[in-house]
Amino acid sequence: MDLLPSEDQRDLIAAATDFLESRMPIEGIRARDGQPSAVDRDAWLEGAELGLLTLGLPEEYGGSGRLLDDEALLFATLAEHLATGPFLTSSLAARVAAQCGDLDLVGRISDGSVLVGLAELRGDGSIGPEGIKGTFDLIDCAGVSHVLLVTELGAAIVDLDEFPDVETLDSSDPGIRLATSTVTAATVRHWLPSGTDPIWLRATVLSAAGLAGLANAVTRLATEHAKLRVQFGRPIGVHQAIKHACADMAVASDAAMSQTLFAAVCVQSGRQDALFHALAAKTVASRAAIANAGATIQVHGGMGYTYEHNAHLYLKRAHVISHLFGEPTQVLADLLEQGAPQ
Amino acid sequence: MDLDFTAEQVEFREQVLTWLTEHKPRESRPRDDAGIREYDLAWQRTQWEGGWAGIAWPTEYGGGGLTLLQQLIWYEEYAAQGLPGIDACFVGLNHAGPTVMLRGNEEQKSFHLPRILKGDVIWCQGFSEPEAGSDLASLRTKAVIDGDHLVVNGQKIWTSSANCADFQELLVRTDNTGSKHDGITWVIADMHTPGIDIRPIKTMEGGAEFCEVFYDDVRIPLSNVVGEINQGWSVAMSTLSFERGTAFTANQVRLAKVVEDLIDFSRDHVGPDGRRPAIADDEIARRLARSRASVASLRAMTYVGICHTMKSDTPGPRGSMLKLHYADLCKEIAALAMDIVGADGLRNSSRWDPMGWVGNYFYSFSQSIGGGTSEIQRNIIGERVLGLPR
Ligand SMILES: Cc1cc2nc3c(=O)[nH]c(=O)nc-3n(C[C@H](O)[C@H](O)[C@H](O)COP(=O)(O)OP(=O)(O)OC[C@H]3O[C@@H](n4cnc5c(N)ncnc54)[C@H](O)[C@@H]3O)c2cc1C
Repeated sequence: MDLLPSEDQRDLIAAATDFLESRMPIEGIRARDGQPSAVDRDAWLEGAELGLLTLGLPEEYGGSGRLLDDEALLFATLAEHLATGPFLTSSLAARVAAQCGDLDLVGRISDGSVLVGLAELRGDGSIGPEGIKGTFDLIDCAGVSHVLLVTELGAAIVDLDEFPDVETLDSSDPGIRLATSTVTAATVRHWLPSGTDPIWLRATVLSAAGLAGLANAVTRLATEHAKLRVQFGRPIGVHQAIKHACADMAVASDAAMSQTLFAAVCVQSGRQDALFHALAAKTVASRAAIANAGATIQVHGGMGYTYEHNAHLYLKRAHVISHLFGEPTQVLADLLEQGAPQ
Repeated sequence: MDLDFTAEQVEFREQVLTWLTEHKPRESRPRDDAGIREYDLAWQRTQWEGGWAGIAWPTEYGGGGLTLLQQLIWYEEYAAQGLPGIDACFVGLNHAGPTVMLRGNEEQKSFHLPRILKGDVIWCQGFSEPEAGSDLASLRTKAVIDGDHLVVNGQKIWTSSANCADFQELLVRTDNTGSKHDGITWVIADMHTPGIDIRPIKTMEGGAEFCEVFYDDVRIPLSNVVGEINQGWSVAMSTLSFERGTAFTANQVRLAKVVEDLIDFSRDHVGPDGRRPAIADDEIARRLARSRASVASLRAMTYVGICHTMKSDTPGPRGSMLKLHYADLCKEIAALAMDIVGADGLRNSSRWDPMGWVGNYFYSFSQSIGGGTSEIQRNIIGERVLGLPR
């Protein structure tokens, strides 16, 4: 048993961090606020070249063939730096396309020329091999050609053109783009049943990883601020109201990350209770990310409430991810239905 | 990363399971002090005879010489059987034993360690005093050297199992001229020494698991000092980091079982509305699911912690994160159980009863106090894990 990142994995995190800090700085979110797409296409292409979209894609399809725990660490790192663009859906879509035999699409997603956004069904409707129907939230679909839909039964790739009357909405998270569309009948380009590859399970684990990354990033942000900000002649971190808030954040993000990695390994090794652990990871990571981000705003005082500071960007991203691939209440209901873990 | 157990570890788990199924105690744990002492020691002795005592202790001290992972496997199977905590043997196995192992001399090791493992003796921990709780280093129980003895005068409090213990890990002040952390000595007290007076204190849960202990000219041989005179603080710290590290594995596994029991209970029992099963209530259902998620994360943290410890040997300040998370969860889950039983919470129960939710709830308040309060754990995490200023 080993749940500590290997040297290889630490190198991976370091390389991704380098790239994100230099090519996708958080400041870019504010710089592109108001523009149709949140994505810096040049940086996206470079990221693709670096292999950020194809880490878990099997080598036979041109990917790096790395395991889910590697991917979890990558998506945690992406979230820690509030990376913009549909990284998760594009890389999951590459996987779907590969297994549906659409090697051309795999190649274009992998080289960054095709981006795949996410559609989430809101309310009644259906998603299946025969087609999709209903009202959908379109997340990061500005300027993309394909859309991924993920359900417990399977994952679908649909052309964006299939969504009529796309109406752009003001997104609560300035780092993503939101739109809506109501579909009466649309064709599914590819359908991959869960039995072949549990995309929903992977999506759950990787979104948990993103949330754990957010929880971690804000813990660091708050702790650094608590060391530097001086009031009453001393750093505010000497006060327990602040120190203990930071300690609670550290525990919550450690628990979230530990559970996420645990779940990733369970999914990877096909353990029977993999679903249990994935749902548990999503639950603890959502709560950790949202609570920690809120606490971080408080630790920063007035500055934390500004648009200029990054704290709110983490909070808003946390809320977004917590709603993807299953509402939190549904995740809890599913979790309670599982048998006891192994 | 992987969660795989080696073939050897899998086989070990099977052996544990087989043995536990055959040898686990059939009677429930008695409630009276003499009964508890006998029961806990007999069970420890059975484990020793079966070769299961001190799994991760070095073989030279009678242990199994195996890894923390095997210890974890043992605890997992042990708790899965619903077996009682190692309450009265806890200090010996998790504080005093490891401390003697790390800091004791050969004579102390060869005398005490086998006795702890064999279930011959019960240890207690005499650290806290009325004026020295969180601020442990301000302790005042005084010891002066008289020939080849220390003569101890003073008082300890909250000493768990003092009334059934044979030995005590005792912190005394041997010098008060320097800083408060200097001048403390860690010494082994034989609880049957004349001059020791023990008075049980009834807890809010109803039992008398801790005591006041008074020392009136108690003579302890100098050969019982572990480490050097006046070096007791550093000796004590090695004990405390053990408590916050590996010792929690069993409790954590047990807590996971409590959540599963509570879920089963909520399916089979009418909830607070008096009509539907408790689990049909959305709020209760969600809190149960969150508890499941949280204890799963506690276990994952424990696994990560074990991986760290196996690389670095001592648990370190990370143990405080586990302890804090554990205490918070214990209280949250115990309070949830009270909401599930509703007005049945008017009926008292003991935490030792099957489904003794009321007793368990009362007991849960001790979890954020004993072994260093949750506030102190947050200080430790803030300062030693995160590097915040003092
Ligand atoms: C069930 C149980 C079993 C125990 N068993 C033993 C045992 O076997 N042997 C033994 O030696 N002791 C034992 N203890 C004692 C335990 O270690 C102490 O109770 C604990 O360290 C707290 O000390 P105190 O009770 O004096 O509370 P205090 O230190 O007076 O604390 C009171 C409150 O003030 C807070 N506080 C104190 N200092 C600070 C600070 N610097 N920052 C923030 N908050 C602070 C505390 O967190 C707490 O909420 C046991 C306690 C319990 C509940």
